[in-house]
This record gives sequence, structure tokens and C-alpha cells, in this order.
Amino acid sequence: MLTLTKDRALALAMLLITGIMLVETRNIPEPTSWQPYGSALFPRILLAVVALLSLLILVRTFFGSPNHSPAPRHAWREWIIQNRSILALFGAFGLYAALLPIIGYIAATLTFLLASLALLMGVDTKRKWLINLAVSVTLTFSVYVIFRFGLNVWLP
Amino acid sequence: MADFFLQALSLVSSPSVLLLILIGVLFGIVGGSIPGFTVTMAILVVFPFTFAMDPVSGVALMVGVFVGGYSGGIVSGVMLGIPGTPSSITTVYDGYPMAQRGEPGRALGIGVAASFIGTLISVAVLVYFGPLIAHFSMQFRPWEITALILFALTLVAGLSQGALLKGLLAAALGLLITTVGYDRNSNLRFDFGFPFLDAGFEMLPVMIGIFAFSQLMGNLEDLRDESRVAGQKVDTNVSIPYRRIAQDMAGQKVNTLRSSLIGSLVGALPGTGGTVANFVSYDQAKKFSRHPERFGTGTPDGIVASEASNSAVAGGAFVPTLALGIPGDLPMAIMMGVLILHGITPGPLMFEQNPVLVGAIYASLLIGAVIMVLCQLFLVRWFAKISLIPQQILVPVVLMLCAIGSYALNNNLFDVWVLFGFGVVGYLLWKARVPLTPLILGVVLGNNLERQLFRALELDSSWLTFLTRPLSALFLALALASVIFSLYQNRKIERHRREAAASHDA
Repeated sequence: MLTLTKDRALALAMLLITGIMLVETRNIPEPTSWQPYGSALFPRILLAVVALLSLLILVRTFFGSPNHSPAPRHAWREWIIQNRSILALFGAFGLYAALLPIIGYIAATLTFLLASLALLMGVDTKRKWLINLAVSVTLTFSVYVIFRFGLNVWLP
Repeated sequence: MADFFLQALSLVSSPSVLLLILIGVLFGIVGGSIPGFTVTMAILVVFPFTFAMDPVSGVALMVGVFVGGYSGGIVSGVMLGIPGTPSSITTVYDGYPMAQRGEPGRALGIGVAASFIGTLISVAVLVYFGPLIAHFSMQFRPWEITALILFALTLVAGLSQGALLKGLLAAALGLLITTVGYDRNSNLRFDFGFPFLDAGFEMLPVMIGIFAFSQLMGNLEDLRDESRVAGQKVDTNVSIPYRRIAQDMAGQKVNTLRSSLIGSLVGALPGTGGTVANFVSYDQAKKFSRHPERFGTGTPDGIVASEASNSAVAGGAFVPTLALGIPGDLPMAIMMGVLILHGITPGPLMFEQNPVLVGAIYASLLIGAVIMVLCQLFLVRWFAKISLIPQQILVPVVLMLCAIGSYALNNNLFDVWVLFGFGVVGYLLWKARVPLTPLILGVVLGNNLERQLFRALELDSSWLTFLTRPLSALFLALALASVIFSLYQNRKIERHRREAAASHDA
């Protein structure tokens, strides 16, 4: 049965990306008369290399020794449940990047640190809350002070 | 030589730069002593703070982190029995048993002394061989440089344990990332009609995203899988028996020298670094020892072999980075990014154009080594306490620092999105078991590779020239050989695995 192993997913994703990028190289201007090769050459060589390697990886998945066969794959649901804190952390970071320009460095950073620390440490005891608050507040402000006054970098 | 070195020394010994080296060393030791944090991560977190500094200060701070980082692994290795960084795995073999016997101070002292001497010897290697190799590589024309970069990439890809195809794929992807945006002929590439892609991706957010996210999320996954014993009680009350350590070290002269030279050499080879150095050196020390059976039970020989070699990597790794412009390992790739950021292109010309900065690197390494010893001896119990910081606190804090660091690069929020985007990409690639070091090396070397390739083709439009010039042909042959060798290695590993599985089944 054909299953989507990690290697196959990788190879297919790479082939898709190289396909799209190869089409996009047609938008790169042609070489001018004094250039032996144009700007599109180098990326095209690389795309060809990536595509070739992806194909090799893909082909290998069909001929690999049984040792290469993947562990029984978890269902998507199970995988998400197992990795929920990591997914949530990625989400929190994306939200942080989005909030930075809107509510500013201090508010966004405090929110991000409080939320992600609560997520990873848990919130079941008072002590954890205290550690969380102490870490978040001290870091947010000390980083602000170092950048703003020590290094003259304006944070959003 | 002496002239610019004295000038550099006076620059580096100004109070503000000394303070920066101290901060760097402290942070490096802390970073190195926290399991799962690694030297590379410490460097990534510190480098945004160098943006606003002059090159000498920035380089001094970063070098401090290097020196501290390579010696930091010993703290958690001895006290907790967990290597703080992969480059101190063999320190644990003898450091932990010695500490368990009730001599943690002796183990730490021996390790610190070995680290110190290792750093000094590697600086000597750098001072001697750096200019020599740079001088030799001055003859390299674009063909040779192109071939040399290809060799470095295939070597690193091939060394990615049993994943040659994916290593090469990663290297090609890294190079591809650098082609986005305006090229040197002002032609737009891969902007997909989005104006924010015009300038391409900044090297540093890409590197941080790819490395830091996969590493940190990986730490969290490990945590989930093994659910370590929480609240481990560790006695951090250590006293250092100076006289005993002096006696120990007096009996380790040959071992220290050999291990330091191994570390310098391994550090100078592309694709290796502290992790390889400490294994090779430990192995050699055991082979040369009159009492190989004592290794692993808490013998000073083992600690010296491991710590002298991994600290010597710091100086050795600077040799190809400065002399050829080709970083040998991950920390050096990032160090090179920092230098480029400050407008300095590492390479053979650096010794002529920026001798003072080269001298500042030498001087910072030396001063950093002295500061490292003092910090380790006086503050070791604090480092041991800090190394117990749980990942759950560490991960969000480091992510935040990465975000702010990327922003501070250009005061540009787009760089934070670049960081995030490549963080996701890096994590997915890591999940698919794609080695990330070749990718990061590709990102660092991509622009130079394309520039050299095209300069070569503009001088002579025939591709055959790459094969008719002897040195260029040699490097290309070496690149091919490294691929074939790692194919052969993979086969061997595969066969061993199958045999092991077969005997297991039987």
C-alpha cells in the first residue's frame, strides 16, 4: 500500500516547490548581450539539483530495505494531540509577530511570555504563576532597557 | 605582525571591550552549561546585541561567547552527568564518575585547566597557520574558490550521518534561499510580485529561524518523551583543590598537547567541530594511555582529553573562516554572518585589509581564555544552579530574544516574519530528518558562490576551465571523493545495522 512517509512527503513537497520556482524563473530578465550567462542560470542549476535529489529520495523510498520502513504512522488527530503544545507555541509566536506593530513591544512581549510560559509550565500552582510573572516582567523590561538605552535601538 | 597585534591588544584591553568579553564569556558558560542550549544557540542569542557596536567590540563579545561556550559544557557534565553541549559528551565519561566519588571540584578544575591550555594552543595554531593559508589562497582565482566552496558543501553534506542525499538537498536549498531578490545585475528573482521580497532575505533571521526553532521545539519534544525527573537535587557546593589539580595537570602534559592539537585540527576541517573533536581526542588518549582500563571510571586523562580538544576547536575553526572565508561548522557560519554584517568579508584579503581586526580576534581569544578560567573557578556553583533552568522557561525566553534580535537587525518587522517562516520550514525539515547544518552553510556561502562562478564564466565562458586548472580540478575531485566516501560509509553503517538487526532477531 502506498503510504505518505516522511521521505515521500519531503520529496513531493520539494518537487512541487521546484516546479513553481522553475516557472517563476521565466520572469527573470534574459542575459544582456555582454553576459555569457544570465541571472536565471544559477537558480536553475540549483533547482535542477534539488529536483534530482528529491527524485532520488522518492525513488529510494520504494526500494529501501525493510529497516527503512517508517514506524506505524499516527493518525492526524493523534499527532496533533501529541504535539499540541509545540503547535500552540508556533501559533503564539505567529500571533506575537502580528501583535508587535499593533500593541507595541512591551504589551506584546509580556503577553507572549506570559501565555507561552503558562502553556509550557502549566498553571496548576501559585508558585508556577509567580515564576511565570517574575520571568516575563523582568525579561520584558530588561531587554527593553538594554536595547533602548544601551544600544539605542527603538523597539516597536 | 607584532605591530598590528599590539594595536589590536590595546583596542581590546580598553575597559568597555574587556567588559564585553567578560559578559560574552559568562553568557557562553551559562549557555554551554544548560543542556540542550548549545554554543550555537548562545551565539545566536547574543549577536543581535552587537548590531550597534563597532566591529572590534562586536567581535570581542562574540569571541567571548565562543570561549565560554566551549568550556561551559563541563559544568553540567560534571555536576549533573548530562553534557551541556554535544562537544562535551566525553567529559561526562570521566568527569561525572569523579564527581560521584566526591571530587567534583577536582573534576571541574582539571576540565577548566585543560580548556584554558587548549584555547591557548589553538590560538597559537591560528596565529601561525591563518596567515600562511591566507597567503597561499591569495593565488586562488574564481575557479578555485567556486570549486573550494563546492567541496566544503559536499563535505559537510556527506558528514551528515547517513543522510547524504538529504544533506546535499539541504545545501542546495540553502544556496537557493540566497537567490531571492535583486541579484548583482539588478535583476529581480523569485519575488512572485511581492515588493517585500525585492531585497531578498536577510541571512541572520533565516539562520536563526532554521536553527533555533528546530532545536528548541526538539528540546520540548525530548522533554515530552522522556519526562525527566523533576526537581533533581544537586549539591552545588563545590570547593576547588588547587594543589591537587596542579599535580594532576603536571602529569598530563603530553595528553594536553595532543588533545589540543587534535581539537585545533578537527576544528579547522569543514563540517566537523567540537562534537567530533572530543570523541576523536578521547579515543586517541585512550589508545596512547598506559592504563586504558581507567578511562570511564573518573580518570583525569579522560577529562583533559575531552576538554582540551573541544576548547581548542575555537581557535582551529577560525583558520578556514578567516583565511578562506569558508566556515567549518555552525557556530563559525554564524560568526561569519556577524562579520559580514559589520561590513567585513572574511577571506584571505582580511589579513591585509583588516589586520587589526584579525589581531583583535587573537587577543579576544587569549583574554577570553583567562577570563573563562577566573569565572569558572569563582562562579562555578552559580553556573551549576543556572544549568538547572527548565526548558519550559528557556524556550519561550529564547524565542522572544530571537524575535527581538531579528527585528533589531534593520528595525524591520518583516525580518521577524522571515524568522517565523524559516522557523516553520526548519522544524518541518528537521522532522523529515534533513540535516540543517549544510543548509545554513549554503545560506552563508550562496552569494559568494554565485559571484565567483559568474566571475569565472565572465573571464572565460568555457565550463571546462574548471577542470583544466589544476587546483580547481583538485577541489572538484575532492568534492566528488567526499560524496563517494560518504556513500561508502552509509553502506557500511547500513550493513552493520542489518547485521545487528539480524543477530538480534536470531
